[in-house]
Amino acid sequence: MLEIKNLHVAVGGKEILKGLSLSIRAGEVHAIMGPNGSGKSTLSYVLAGRAGYDITQGSILYNGENLAALSPEVRAAKGVFLAMQYPVEIPGVTTMTFLKTALNSQRRARGESDIDAVGVLKLVRAKAKTLNVSEEMLKRALNVGFSGGEKKRLEILQMAIFEPKLAILDETDSGLDIDALKLVAEGVNTLRDPARAMLVITHYQRLLDYIVPDRIHVLANGRIVAEGGKELALELEAKGYEHIVKEPA
Amino acid sequence: MSIAAETKSQVAELGEKYKYGFVTDIEMERAPKGLSEDTVRYISAKKGEPEWMLEWRLGAFRRWQAMTEPKWARVHYPKIDYQAAYYYAAPKNTPLKQSLDEVDPKLLETYKKLGIPLQEQMALAGVAVDAVFDSVSVATTFKEKLNEAGVIFCPISEAIRDYPELVKQYLGTVVPVTDNFFATLNAAVFSDGTFVYVPKGVRCPMELSTYFRINASETGQFERTLIIADEGSYVSYLEGCTAPKRDENQLHAAVVELVALDNAEIKYSTVQNWYPGDENGLGGIFNFVTKRGDCRGKKSKISWTQVETGSAITWKYPSCILRGDESVGEFYSIAIANHHQQADTGTKMIHLGANTRSRIISKGISAGKAQNTYRGLVSVYGKAQNARNYTQCDSLLIGGDCGAHTVPYIESRNKSARIEHEATTSKIAEDQLFYCLARGIPQDEAVSLIVNGFCREVLQQLPMEFAVEAQKLVGISLEGSVG
Amino acid sequence: MAALVLGLPEARRNEAAAVFRARGVPHRRIEEWKYSDLKSALGEAGVGAVVAQWLVGNLPCGVEVFDLAQNNPPAEIPDWVRENFATATHNAMSSASLALSSGGVAFRVPKGAQITDLLKVDFTGPGHVRGLLVLEDGASLTLVEGVGIADFRNVGFEIVLGEGASLDHVRISPDGGEAVLVEEAAVHVAARAIYRAHFAGFGSKLSRMELEIALEGEGAQAHLSGVSVLDGKRHSDVTTHVIHRVGNTNSTQLFKHVAGGGSRAVYQGKVTVAKGANGSDSNQSAKALLLGDGAEADLKPELEIFADDVKCAHGAAVGDLDAESLFYLRARGIPETEARGLLLHAFLEDAVAEISNIDQRELVRTELLTALRAMA
Repeated sequence: MLEIKNLHVAVGGKEILKGLSLSIRAGEVHAIMGPNGSGKSTLSYVLAGRAGYDITQGSILYNGENLAALSPEVRAAKGVFLAMQYPVEIPGVTTMTFLKTALNSQRRARGESDIDAVGVLKLVRAKAKTLNVSEEMLKRALNVGFSGGEKKRLEILQMAIFEPKLAILDETDSGLDIDALKLVAEGVNTLRDPARAMLVITHYQRLLDYIVPDRIHVLANGRIVAEGGKELALELEAKGYEHIVKEPA
Repeated sequence: MSIAAETKSQVAELGEKYKYGFVTDIEMERAPKGLSEDTVRYISAKKGEPEWMLEWRLGAFRRWQAMTEPKWARVHYPKIDYQAAYYYAAPKNTPLKQSLDEVDPKLLETYKKLGIPLQEQMALAGVAVDAVFDSVSVATTFKEKLNEAGVIFCPISEAIRDYPELVKQYLGTVVPVTDNFFATLNAAVFSDGTFVYVPKGVRCPMELSTYFRINASETGQFERTLIIADEGSYVSYLEGCTAPKRDENQLHAAVVELVALDNAEIKYSTVQNWYPGDENGLGGIFNFVTKRGDCRGKKSKISWTQVETGSAITWKYPSCILRGDESVGEFYSIAIANHHQQADTGTKMIHLGANTRSRIISKGISAGKAQNTYRGLVSVYGKAQNARNYTQCDSLLIGGDCGAHTVPYIESRNKSARIEHEATTSKIAEDQLFYCLARGIPQDEAVSLIVNGFCREVLQQLPMEFAVEAQKLVGISLEGSVG
Repeated sequence: MAALVLGLPEARRNEAAAVFRARGVPHRRIEEWKYSDLKSALGEAGVGAVVAQWLVGNLPCGVEVFDLAQNNPPAEIPDWVRENFATATHNAMSSASLALSSGGVAFRVPKGAQITDLLKVDFTGPGHVRGLLVLEDGASLTLVEGVGIADFRNVGFEIVLGEGASLDHVRISPDGGEAVLVEEAAVHVAARAIYRAHFAGFGSKLSRMELEIALEGEGAQAHLSGVSVLDGKRHSDVTTHVIHRVGNTNSTQLFKHVAGGGSRAVYQGKVTVAKGANGSDSNQSAKALLLGDGAEADLKPELEIFADDVKCAHGAAVGDLDAESLFYLRARGIPETEARGLLLHAFLEDAVAEISNIDQRELVRTELLTALRAMA
């Protein structure tokens, strides 16, 4: 589903990704681990299409299509979903309004019909329950006054509602205590599907105890420097990144 | 006729005029009272200036005559009689004292409180400097270092003679002759001032302030300063000192022009403690200053830092014209007004180029019956893509008889610009004071502590040596203001 | 007995005329009118001497109305008009309306009357007109002020709130095209009275709403909010002056502006805290978003503080839509134009939320939506 070949990305003139290659098939869960500054967030932003992240070399193919040529909203409609590390607060826009607008925008782009307000409410309520997202949170302005855990849960709720084909989770575990983590991980696991691929980006191995990946890639200095199965996570935890990251770019 | 000859003949002419009302002795210390074209010629002649400089002055004078004094500031002052002042006075030759015993003990006490080193106390108090320490050798080392670096640092009258091309190129290009009433007056009759030129790529090896400290004699009434930082250079300049400045000259109208070329940086700090006259505000100084920095080059930077207290009336708005792309302008200010003082100060940041940034931190403290006004302008012009400004204006009021006013003008004509302005007003909280007292800190010291905390962000911008003195100055200015 | 124009003794009219003559039509060299050159906008036509009109929707039961144009002998002018009308002013345009208008309307809500129906008043037509609204002690009312489009209109409005009275004032000024519309309102708020006002404006060739609000007794409050959405060459200027004359008074201001095209949004908010007015609390916030290449925002939040035991703060900001928020919405599938619209709406929302009356709030929201859509 996702084919990244020799990707070079520059941010503010500075090269962050220096030839990253990666491929993920539908139904797979891949994890990307790496030290701070390795380019993990850059990867997730460039996949979602954020301005300021320039591809200087290489390609990203999403189901055979050149992803770089598509704007963020078109990518979303085609099933790309980025659960952000720092979800933005948008005062004045209620969560419910946001969910309805986004869902229907995506449906429209795909040629599907809108779901009416009542329908959206039913849909959201059902999914919100399992993730412990309260009615009250849905009425509040998007992410305003939400705790770290609440913000992350809302990101996963959105994933459940939009049903993406490629889900990228950018450090979903950051700032969460063990209980919050478990809840979020459960939510993610429920969304595993043979038609869906997931890219879990994390610094710590802990999350991967709950969201067990099929494959782990280690990102350092803008490149994948090591790959392996889920045991690689334990090795990193025990020996640290220096052990695996052998030399600078 | 050559310039030198021309000057000579002019001076001779003046000599002729003297029999018609001027005093006969050409070596006289002061120009006669009043302001006329002759006064301007007198000054120019005294300074031995070339023809082009005299013409420049005369042009300014003629324009000044047609102008009217501005009335819009919140300051109120008795009408100034421009004809009743002396516009030129040679450096005073006051008889030097032989030791500190001859100095007013109150003055000495202030110096002590400010932590001014003994030697400097003597210099400031007019004790024969030579008798105390080797000022000549200090001056020599200073000059040597500067010469090595290629930095020109001299009185402006010297620069007019020795570096005319440089002066001609930059004088009046940042503050045009007709900019405002006081600037025009200054252009006509300025007599003292500093000229600094830092060559390409040179980081000026020392704070251009030390020299002033040692030679802190009387400030001229109409000072004109011009500082030019050529590409890639850096200079830090400090004006004034914390010691109280007694001055008979009531009116001060200075002009300071700064020019920063590509990648150059000028840091201009002012610490001024004007003697405010008595507690009823009589005999204080009227301080009207035009200070402007032109960030002409790409990535150039100019920052103004000022700690001002004491003047009876202050009217000054150090400004930055952010012309070059990616240029940066900063303004950090502590303005203290106590007793009957009136301060109306602030800044103007004019964003013209792309990706320019400005930062304004203003701390105003009012006590007694004083009035303190911050007046600022942040103006973003149509082509100033991505301009960024942040302004923080805080006022601290001590006692119920003073006033603090904030008048910010925010004008934006470019949709990508971001301007943020915040202002707060507060007082010294009872519980803050009580806490200090309960820990054994006496009232005045507690006030000083709290106020310095309030001003910390600005104090941090000062060259180190002065930060300490400035802190003490803040404390002294507010002695007795609480309770 | 001789009839009085506008119910005023001739001496008073002359006084006003003299003030107007001395000050003249405001122009850009006058500090307070720096961003709104009225003289230039009026051109040769000047202020004229025509009388503008006023219309009242259904007069709510319990509200008394008095037509100021009635050629009354002095004895028939009600006390409440005589006592509150035409208080001294140094403003040029208020003086002009007093001197040049012979028409206007006055309303009174008697002591303790809590009026639930809205009082709808429209000022229409070109010329000068006066208004007076008196709420006696403990009275409450919601005033909805309509602004008709005309070449030039100058409205002088006086509002007096007795102790414990409460007034909600909503003024929606539609896109006025080439109109030049000026209104100066002087509001007196007695102890424990509350003045809440919202100004939604869509601009015109020159549109100026000036308010002077005096908090005169302890517990008096003023809460002002406003939104403006401007396009083309529209101009909108809201200038306020809140005076905390005594302590333990409270004022808040929240103004949001969206300026597209080559329009100009102006906000000047001055807060004065008088000497001895300890315990005064004042908060001001003005924000503008520029969407057009030729648009301009001029904000001047001013503080004039003469007392020390006060809490006064103000903030002003001009900028563009937050890029982070825009990306978030787009990354969730919301197309850019719609995402911008959502954010613009969100930007204006907290100012709109200040309107107490639900219907009026919805009305303003709808108007804003329409204007924002037209701009995109």
